[in-house]
Amino acid sequence: MSDRGAEYRPGSKDDFDRLYRTAYPRVYRTLAAVLADPAEAEDCAQDAFVQAFAAWKRWRPSAPAEAWVHRIAVNRAISLRRRAKLRGVGEVLRRLGRPAPPDDPADTATQPDILNALRAIPPKLAAAIVLRHYHGYNNREIAFALGVSERTVGTRLKQAGERLRAILEPSFSLAEGSAFPSDSRGSYAED
Amino acid sequence: MPRTDTDPLGDGLKWRLRAELNRVQPPYSSPRYLVSARHRVAVWRVAPAALAAAIVGMLGLTAYAATGSPNPVVWTQQIMTRIQPNSAPESTPATPGFTPTSRAVPPAPAPPTHEAEPTEQPEPSEEPQASPSPEHDSGGSGGSDDSHSTQASPSPGAYGGDH
Repeated sequence: MSDRGAEYRPGSKDDFDRLYRTAYPRVYRTLAAVLADPAEAEDCAQDAFVQAFAAWKRWRPSAPAEAWVHRIAVNRAISLRRRAKLRGVGEVLRRLGRPAPPDDPADTATQPDILNALRAIPPKLAAAIVLRHYHGYNNREIAFALGVSERTVGTRLKQAGERLRAILEPSFSLAEGSAFPSDSRGSYAED
Repeated sequence: MPRTDTDPLGDGLKWRLRAELNRVQPPYSSPRYLVSARHRVAVWRVAPAALAAAIVGMLGLTAYAATGSPNPVVWTQQIMTRIQPNSAPESTPATPGFTPTSRAVPPAPAPPTHEAEPTEQPEPSEEPQASPSPEHDSGGSGGSDDSHSTQASPSPGAYGGDH
């Protein structure tokens, strides 16, 4: 984690500015993996920092600051995904009986496979994967960022890996056969 | 920290995940929390003035509803006319110039008339007390000296008769 060892004082604006400079790109990337729309990810990240700044005086130094902001951001992203899902159900009901519009081939070609796969799985699972394998959080930090127990983090990482494998394995097995070596399939131990 | 990295994702997938997320560049945008903080400060600065304006507006509306006129001069006049009756009894003895206007409505002028009537009533009551004496006088057809003379007149006749 980038803010390991960094000391922040609750309520200090200078420290929050420092936290923003350090954590904003990382939080944005987490949200970009969870949300499909980059503008939506930016809005969500900015709103998370606004909310965090409003509660900055109440932040406790015992909690990792970046994980704390991540928690706010991921919760907002989950709400956004839920709303988007409800909008999608509404769209399906509206165009009931008509054929669905085809996906834009340009979008499909330019968007990376893993990010598309992450956006296809539940946001809690996608966030756990990004926090672990991109940001390098341990189970305790992921548990704090997602507001769950460490045992739940292990379960979620396992579920996320299985779901991603189910989505990506055909393309990966063709592109790079060693992407999922059978001997590396283990389980996430508790930290 | 006994974290096992032998996970279902594998090193290849992790490497691709990192590469793809590193390619995602966050768009530059000014921190929104600074704008919200400035906005919050501005709101707190404006709040007292807004509160005062709201109170003045409420008072104005109340006065308009009470008087039926949007003119503040009328409001003050209405207030003065409502306040003055309470202070009128104190001001009437000090300022005689205002007494005709202030006494026009209340029953203040009545006491002088009631005071005048009792003074007139005893006078007729005294006059009848005095009037019987003239009646006796008229019956006697003369003054007190005459009464003595009339009462004395038969007596000399009697005395004279006796004599």
